[in-house]
Amino acid sequence: MHNKALKEKLIKNVKKEVKQIMEEAVTKKFVHEESASITSLCAAVEACVSHGLKRRALGLFKSSSTTALLHKIAKAFQPAANVVQLIAEVENCDPNNEKLYVCLFLSHTNNITCSNTRLAISSRLSLSLHTNYYRRSSSSGGSESASKLGVKPPLQKRNSVATMKYLWIRLALIEKHLAKIVDYIVANSSKYYEKDALVADPDYGTILSSLLVGPCALDYSKLRTAEHFWTDPPADELVQRHRISSGQFPLPASPPAHKRPGLHYKGSTGFSNSDDNMRSKDYVESLHQNSKSTLLYGKNNVVVYMKDGSEPLAGYLSLHQCGEALLLKWTPNQLMNGCTDTGVHEKSVYWEHALNVAVHETVYVHCHQGPDSDWIALVGQDGVQRPPIHFPRGGHLLAFLSCLENGLLPHGILDPPLWSQRGKGKFTYHGVNQKKTNVSATNLLVDITSKVFPKLKRKGSSRFHSSTSPLAREESTTEDLISEKGASDFVFRIVYPNFTRTYPQVEDMLEYPVWQSSPSTPKSSIPPTTPRSTPLHSVSTTSSTSSSRSLDQQCSVQEPGEPIQVVCQTMKKQIISRAFYGWLAHCRHLRTVRTHLVGLVRSDIVKSECPTDATPGLTEEKWKELQASGSVDMKEIYRLVYFGGMAHSLRKQLWPIMLSGKLEGEDPEALRREYEDKMSEWLAVEAIVRQRDKETMAQNLAKLSSEGGNSSDPQPSPKVLQTHESNEAWRNTSIKGEPKVFVDAEETLSSEPTDGNRSQKLRSVESTTASPLKTSILSEKRAENGDVANIKASNSSNSPREKPREVSFQSDAPVFFDPSPNKHDEDDDSDVSSGEESPVATRGGVYSNEILESFGLNLHRIDKDVKRCDRNHWYFTESNLDKLRNVMCTYVWEHMEMGYVQGMCDLAAPLLVILDDEAIAYGCFRNLMERMSANFPSGGGAMDAHFANMRSLLQVLDHDLFALIRQNGDYTHFYFCYRWFLLDFKREFSYDDVFLVWETIWAARHIASADYGLFLALALLAYYRDIILANSMDFTDIIKFFNEMAERHDAKAILQIARSLVLQLQTLIENK
Amino acid sequence: MATRKKVLLKVIILGDSGVGKTSLMNQYVNKKFSNQYKATIGADFLTKEVMVDDRIVTMQIWDTAGQERFQSLGVAFYRGADCCVLVFDVSAPNTFKSLDSWRDEFLIQASPRDPENFPFVLVGNKVDLDNRAVPQKRGQQWAQSKNNMPYFETSAKEGINVEQAFQTIAKNALAQETEVDIYNEFPDHITINNDSRNVRSDNCSC
Repeated sequence: MHNKALKEKLIKNVKKEVKQIMEEAVTKKFVHEESASITSLCAAVEACVSHGLKRRALGLFKSSSTTALLHKIAKAFQPAANVVQLIAEVENCDPNNEKLYVCLFLSHTNNITCSNTRLAISSRLSLSLHTNYYRRSSSSGGSESASKLGVKPPLQKRNSVATMKYLWIRLALIEKHLAKIVDYIVANSSKYYEKDALVADPDYGTILSSLLVGPCALDYSKLRTAEHFWTDPPADELVQRHRISSGQFPLPASPPAHKRPGLHYKGSTGFSNSDDNMRSKDYVESLHQNSKSTLLYGKNNVVVYMKDGSEPLAGYLSLHQCGEALLLKWTPNQLMNGCTDTGVHEKSVYWEHALNVAVHETVYVHCHQGPDSDWIALVGQDGVQRPPIHFPRGGHLLAFLSCLENGLLPHGILDPPLWSQRGKGKFTYHGVNQKKTNVSATNLLVDITSKVFPKLKRKGSSRFHSSTSPLAREESTTEDLISEKGASDFVFRIVYPNFTRTYPQVEDMLEYPVWQSSPSTPKSSIPPTTPRSTPLHSVSTTSSTSSSRSLDQQCSVQEPGEPIQVVCQTMKKQIISRAFYGWLAHCRHLRTVRTHLVGLVRSDIVKSECPTDATPGLTEEKWKELQASGSVDMKEIYRLVYFGGMAHSLRKQLWPIMLSGKLEGEDPEALRREYEDKMSEWLAVEAIVRQRDKETMAQNLAKLSSEGGNSSDPQPSPKVLQTHESNEAWRNTSIKGEPKVFVDAEETLSSEPTDGNRSQKLRSVESTTASPLKTSILSEKRAENGDVANIKASNSSNSPREKPREVSFQSDAPVFFDPSPNKHDEDDDSDVSSGEESPVATRGGVYSNEILESFGLNLHRIDKDVKRCDRNHWYFTESNLDKLRNVMCTYVWEHMEMGYVQGMCDLAAPLLVILDDEAIAYGCFRNLMERMSANFPSGGGAMDAHFANMRSLLQVLDHDLFALIRQNGDYTHFYFCYRWFLLDFKREFSYDDVFLVWETIWAARHIASADYGLFLALALLAYYRDIILANSMDFTDIIKFFNEMAERHDAKAILQIARSLVLQLQTLIENK
Repeated sequence: MATRKKVLLKVIILGDSGVGKTSLMNQYVNKKFSNQYKATIGADFLTKEVMVDDRIVTMQIWDTAGQERFQSLGVAFYRGADCCVLVFDVSAPNTFKSLDSWRDEFLIQASPRDPENFPFVLVGNKVDLDNRAVPQKRGQQWAQSKNNMPYFETSAKEGINVEQAFQTIAKNALAQETEVDIYNEFPDHITINNDSRNVRSDNCSC
């Protein structure tokens, strides 16, 4: 009968989609609203519900007929009314406006902030609708043409309006009302449907409503935007989730907020047909060794027998380690070998057969040996058995098992252990099972592996793993019966004894009846046994921990029927050997710590509580107190600041002291003079550079507009600049004026009396050093200050124009330095250092083209960065940004060999904010850079040293985290810490916290650790370690996380952790 | 993480400091322009999902520090890139001149499989400014000379042409992705063994 067949088909379709969605729920742990399976299910339900619908009954409603039906029943049935209300909200939100959907979709409004959450939900729903609509469109012409071609859910021809048709079904499903509504429709079918309608059918109607109960039980309430679906959750969400879930540690790969649906459905992975191509490729890619997962085992031509009795399929079996989870995958050859030979339909059949098993959800591994192949069957926690996997002959089963065992480490083990003993070349299998006497099953795999397998035993053990369900219990009993017949079968249980690094099986041993009845105690005279020698895979254990672990697994090995005494002896040995290896590991560990890390902390531990409690920090009262006491001890200041920071009001006064390390600080007058000198030097150069830039620019413009692609060098030939040109340049700029620069110059040159004397001195010195340019510039500088008389004199002094041309600065540098000792004697001592440091800042003052060019380049960079440095901070107004620029330029002028490197601005800015004085900020910055410059590229490679130290420290202080970092694509290069170290955490904390963090770092140098930054970095990791571990973050995840968390850390808590880490290392080293 | 996306296109944005790399990235991903960006230190990235042909892919767009001093860091960040975007400032000829060195440096550090055909896209940013100094023709010529890479003139500030540029970037990156034959790397050559079909077809009956 035709109608019957149609109904059959309709119901079958619903079944298929329900199955699909339930599988997705299980394999993905949650179902996204965007999931294509939801749309497919909606389409299938729609088809059923609209079958045989009486049009007349609904009369007035012209929209979608099933929607009309819904409106009709809404009057009598509350859940339907709720859904109707929801639909109204969605439609009001954007009334059937496709364009809006497109906009929503394309713009990815990740934060739809509607005051009405319902509205937000609805708009996201429509967003997801449209996403689906795009994803399902089979056009290859891109999104533009998609709207014309329409979507193609099963059964019906669709256009975009059709997608909207499912709206009520979708909403009802997500609101978990769908089953109820369909049930109601079925119950009242006579009103609305023809007699032969599907819902009116006594069987199909009930089937339909009961089919929908499952999908309605799923939790879709975790709304995820389209963006969430494709990307990792933002840092905020991670932190939030962690707060919610903190306490018990969640399993990796299942973030806590993803509530698992209540159903545990086990089966082969389902793949929706619509995304087949994309998915299949990705799936196959996932079989490879990649950054996210390690391939532990791979074998081709492994045969799987499907439960439905279809013929066996050969495929590729692989074992993957993803974070801490193990995944077993089996993929039919038909899928592995490309898609050319099979049709689309056939392929989807194969996808249904592909296996994807999470090992942590598997409790038993049943191993069987047959005459021509070995096979295993996996039994899950719920007792459901997977299709058996047959290995080809030749020891593959054993290889697989040992890979599995290694993969399970460190948290899980095979029980009984599959282990080899060094020297004996033996493998021993233990079958643990319920109330069974020992059944030895020798010669198990002997013929296959050509190794000796002496024993397979069933040890009496009444303990049963808590996670084992009654079903599994039943399963194992059946298994017992079978295995009695043939000895070639045995069972392994997968156990996760303990997630911590204790000795997991000690309790087990104590529970063991034999042990309890034994009065003997271990004697220390018994020598330790040799440790197990199973090769460790890429599992995250160091030698120290793995040795103790491998010993654990040895403990359950005894021969059957041995006298109790022997058993006790064995145990004694094991206990002692464990102790011995524990001690050995500890010694090794300490040796590493001492050799590598001893230099990182100071050996003397400074306590916070003596002589006084330092935790309140250096308050104003405390500072007054210290000053009143007469002699201020720097050490005490450091101690107070280290443990509690200082009062904000003290910073201006104390920062220069802390940075110089001298109580008296630097002489501000000398500093100021030096600063002004430097500034006048580079201001002159800047003027030249400016002028030349203008010329070059004009030149370029002319050239570019005339001849397009010719990339000839626009720079003038590299010879010494003519004084004529430069002088003109200078005059031009000084006449036109760069007002802001000169305003600042005036400010800084305001200390009149000394300045006047000095300028006289300087001039006399400089005129002897054949530097007409310099002199002229300087004197014009003075002219700006009102010293007009000098202009003519200086201008007349630069008459020998050709002279400087012969002098190449680079080659003649020593010559230029020669006269300077003279000057140094006359000058203040604060000048001495700078004269030596800087090859550029010669008093000679003729600047080679190279110097001009390179300073010009630096100026551009400084300008670019100063402009955008902390411009959202209240302090950095135009004029204060100019101050920052001056400090920067002066420093760079003094350190031309290094030049300006990005990040310097960031380091200078907080100093300027606190000190609000260019010269002093400059002095402090110079002091700060003495330490920090090594971090900058080409500054001395301190960064690499930091990373290396991070590696060592993390290994010692937080091994688990280190293991994760190494495992997840190995980012132990620690490049994600780059900005932390380069900027001394300046961008990691909010501005106010930066002050505290910085002074703590400075103080720590003197009383705790010269590399306190390392401990801060570790503290940042430690603070979020659980989140990092729980989400099994890789390099990109961690970069994203910390970039998003920047300036939002709890500085006090992190400093506290850092201090305790320092103390921890200090104690570790001290207790030799 | 459980929500990890599968098709991921890694895009690296390179160019001198201040040409607007961060702004371009943010304009494209967040549709926002801010004048509050600081100089990028280290590296940052944003992700965005796009439709390329009929597929949804995730673009992971990496924004790097512009000063050439930091290039040594590149190794860690460039690895596995699917496309490289070279950005210059049309008002600053120097940023145009350094394109060659950025391109070379990228090819050295990322060492892509097929450097000859690795997809680059050239972007001349800041076309909204009046003081343009690099004519369009020059940009085109350079792009043509380098394996005919696509060239876009954009303004991250005004949002001009940004979307189009990144669409092309995504497209080219995806093309690059799919060209790589995934089966090449497969550990074992697989042959369907017909003999294995005569194995007993019972289920594990334990």
